[in-house]
Amino acid sequence: MSYSDKVIDHYNHPRNVGSMDKSSPDVGTGLVGAPECGDVMKLQIKVNRDTNVIEEAKFKTFGCGSAIASSSLATEWVKGKTVDEALTIKNMDIVKELSLPPVKIHCSVLAEDAIRAAIGDWKKKQESAKPVAAEAK
Amino acid sequence: MSKSTVSTIAAARTHDAAESCWSCGAMRVAQFCGACGKVQPPAPVDYFSFFGLPPKLNLDVATLEKEFYELSRKLHPDLNARAGSKEQEWSLEQSSRLNDAYRTLKDPIKRTQYLLHLEGVQLEEQSKSATEKARATGEVKKQIVPPDLLEEVFELNMQLEELRMEKKTGEDDPALIAEIEKHKAALEQKYEALFQELQSYWKSWDGLIEREQAGQAVPAGERKQALDKMVDVLNRRNYIRNLVRDVNEALEGSS
Ligand code: FES
Repeated sequence: MSYSDKVIDHYNHPRNVGSMDKSSPDVGTGLVGAPECGDVMKLQIKVNRDTNVIEEAKFKTFGCGSAIASSSLATEWVKGKTVDEALTIKNMDIVKELSLPPVKIHCSVLAEDAIRAAIGDWKKKQESAKPVAAEAK
Repeated sequence: MSKSTVSTIAAARTHDAAESCWSCGAMRVAQFCGACGKVQPPAPVDYFSFFGLPPKLNLDVATLEKEFYELSRKLHPDLNARAGSKEQEWSLEQSSRLNDAYRTLKDPIKRTQYLLHLEGVQLEEQSKSATEKARATGEVKKQIVPPDLLEEVFELNMQLEELRMEKKTGEDDPALIAEIEKHKAALEQKYEALFQELQSYWKSWDGLIEREQAGQAVPAGERKQALDKMVDVLNRRNYIRNLVRDVNEALEGSS
């Protein structure tokens, strides 16, 4: 199967590979997997507390080229968006942008899952932080 | 979903059994007429029915194998009438179906996957439909495999990457290799345990089928539960299998 140029570009020059401190209150981490192929993807976001804007995004994916490209693109897309805006990203947007073939759709699903999971994790931290914040050191 | 699938299969089964031989008009079985012994045109039956078996997961592979050889011999196109005749064509088709059926049923994992497929479970679709649901409800999607397994997969992959890098620069770290080896042994054990877990679900599934055969109604929820458990165990098994494969690849040449 041949990959599109955009996939190859992201694959060869993945943007935003890396990780951030998982325990930081401003960082949300999403770790997701695709049972179809056994691939895993971790995506992290750092959110500005006052504006809800995602200022930083990192990923690390162990999987196929399409999964790497999808997550790389996902980090590019979420950066600069507010959390709510980022939630509107759909896997089919990724499919279109990268011209993924039908058999690679699940790789883009993984990227959408990762965004949602990271945001979900961050939101959970915000909620639990509220009551604790008062007694924090 | 599973209910309607099941009834169609059951219907197909009775239908085929009731169908008559093209040659002598007597009742036929999947491959041959029981009365005159002539080969029959392939009937659209599932692989279990093809072997005259109920859709149960515990099956005696030795008996299946015997049956397979017996049928292959009988279906051999050369044995069945003149070249180019209809009967020869049918026996060719029946032979290839026999091969598919045998290959699927003799392998425990393929057999399970096949049954899930018959029951309308779409393994490839599960993740996508869960994502769609999460999108619609705004809730965080429940991952199909447990989070701690995902953590484990991720961490081990990080170590493997490290190992590959070290190999490239030619400096093997024995401590890292030892750790990965240890992990691998644990994974292999887990893989074994998952198969046993799967077998315990076979048992509950077969129990349902037996109850049905005895004329008892089995609630759809119970069916679904048994199927879901199998799906779940197969998903986890997938991850472990890939991990072991990746570990072996990465370790190749070291130690
Ligand atoms: S093949 Fe698994 S994520 Fe692409």
